[in-house]
Amino acid sequence: MTRPFLSIRAVRKTFGAFVAVHDVTIDVPKGEFLTFLGPSGSGKSTTLYAIAGFQDPTSGDVLLEDKSLLAVPSHKRNIGMVFQRYTLFPHLSVAENVAFPLRVRRRPDGEVKRKVADMLALVRLEKFADRYPGALSGGQQQRVALARALAYDPPILLMDEPLSALDKKLRQEIQAEIRRIHRETGVTILYVTHDQEEALHLSDRIALFKEGRIEQIGTGEDLYLRPASEFVAGFIGNSNFLPAEHLETESGAATVRLADGSIVKGVKATHALSRGQTARLMVRPEAFRLTPVSGNASLAVEIVDTAFFGDRRRVVARTGSGDEIDVRPSSDAAEPAGADAAASRRIFFDPAQAFLFPA
Amino acid sequence: MQGTPLRRGSMAGSGGALPALTLVGLFFVVPVVALLLRSVTDPEPGLQNYAALFGSGTYVRVFLNTFLVAAVVTAVTIVVAFPVAWMLAIMPPALGSIVFGIIILSMWTNLLTRTYAWMVLLQRTGVINRTLMGLGIIHEPLPLINNLAGVTIGMVYIMLPFMILPLIGALRAIDPMTLRAAALCGASPFQAFGRILLPLSLPGIAAGGLMVFVMSLGYFVTPALLGGTSNMMLAEMIAQTVQSLLNWGLGSAAAFVLLIVTMALYALQLRMVGARRLAGGL
Repeated sequence: MTRPFLSIRAVRKTFGAFVAVHDVTIDVPKGEFLTFLGPSGSGKSTTLYAIAGFQDPTSGDVLLEDKSLLAVPSHKRNIGMVFQRYTLFPHLSVAENVAFPLRVRRRPDGEVKRKVADMLALVRLEKFADRYPGALSGGQQQRVALARALAYDPPILLMDEPLSALDKKLRQEIQAEIRRIHRETGVTILYVTHDQEEALHLSDRIALFKEGRIEQIGTGEDLYLRPASEFVAGFIGNSNFLPAEHLETESGAATVRLADGSIVKGVKATHALSRGQTARLMVRPEAFRLTPVSGNASLAVEIVDTAFFGDRRRVVARTGSGDEIDVRPSSDAAEPAGADAAASRRIFFDPAQAFLFPA
Repeated sequence: MQGTPLRRGSMAGSGGALPALTLVGLFFVVPVVALLLRSVTDPEPGLQNYAALFGSGTYVRVFLNTFLVAAVVTAVTIVVAFPVAWMLAIMPPALGSIVFGIIILSMWTNLLTRTYAWMVLLQRTGVINRTLMGLGIIHEPLPLINNLAGVTIGMVYIMLPFMILPLIGALRAIDPMTLRAAALCGASPFQAFGRILLPLSLPGIAAGGLMVFVMSLGYFVTPALLGGTSNMMLAEMIAQTVQSLLNWGLGSAAAFVLLIVTMALYALQLRMVGARRLAGGL
């Protein structure tokens, strides 16, 4: 076992009686893009701040290449960071902002010049070198902040919701830039966001935070296809939850009875459940089919609404017990009784794509 | 920026400003013109008052001393006000306004009372000297009064609120996150102060500094009570010239020179900092 590059060990942070971070432990290999995902107040930013040195953890340790960072003040940690808010120095030009970390390190002028040019090329803002931050758009400012944070080749780059102030289109554009920059520089990135799409798009691995603990850590696929809990299933992607009664589980495949009395066999059991225990069956919207497939389970529903979104359709269906189900078949699937929307019909799903969680 | 429409406003809308303009004309422009006239006509037409002013070593020394005192007071005020303003800027607003209220309250206390209080504190047998001698830190009383030190202490104390106010405005406009970013970029607290905090607060320092400097140039009570005869300031000299020597012409000339210097400084400041940033800093 090689030693981890960055090791967050049992970090705990309390504010009075409130525990913001609950003994979080993560090992991060060199070059990884790891995202802390979670709702606000889940402890993801606090964990990041502990690494940055803005908040000392109550207990636990943060090790970079086996050396503890905690006793090192922020300005000696040699960590890069891009913040949620625009933190460029307003009295310095773009080039001087990028040069700042090198100047405070008293690097020779020639090196500073070269590095600033490299960094501005990396974020594609060469033409803006002499502008002042006030004359840049939000997206450009964050790209300069990225260049500034990378100018001194930090071993770790922290990013605290850097795109949350930008509009959606710009966000996607800069996400692509961040991916490219991560590829080109190979820097280890710890990224905080509450946006699951952003997390899925960018990350090698995602640590999903809930109430100060890591609920699940893994690749985006792990979290989406193999959610460890109802919270994970609900947070990553869209999910439908159907009330169900657990009947039995055999080698990971469970049999349940749904509200309409139908029995579904072979759903994925994520937890050990007892016979008769009430549970919730999670099915992704895109796992539903409008046409029968052999081996699929089915549900009797009433179509409430349908809409066309180009690549997908969105169908809102309601079960006999009143649960609304979000169905997203691809748009080349048959039109689901568009004219008589209130029609009763059956929708279908593969039990292997359904997950059972305790209620 | 919000001031632009006003500054560029056409004369068409200025009818409503007539009473104010009359007031300014009557109580400001007229006396200044009268002052100027007096300085070139009393006791007889000519520039002899100005010649006397610039020809005499005594008067020139008073001028230089006036600038020295104003400069020292301004510099010390900036140094003392900065940490106070910074503390007020980062305090929770509720607590900050209480502390600031206390500072403002001192402004409402009578100037003469405050200056006499300093006399009691600073004199040879005053509280400060007796305490220091009692503690064995000094053996001879420190000369804290009737000299530059006394004037500086007394005037810095009076000028502080005028420096703190614009500084708070400038410091509050700085996002604390910017300083965190500077720290992570590798700037030591000292570098973050010198390279980020200080340059960003310059508009506030300039605005407050100008106000303090200009106010100090014409200050009378404190220098008269806490200063010595060897470092007389201009206002005191004007008072003496008029009251004791009854030389209205010379007094007017001195007052007019002070006015011109003050306005020139203000113009210079506007050029350097820019009127908008100055206004923004306030």
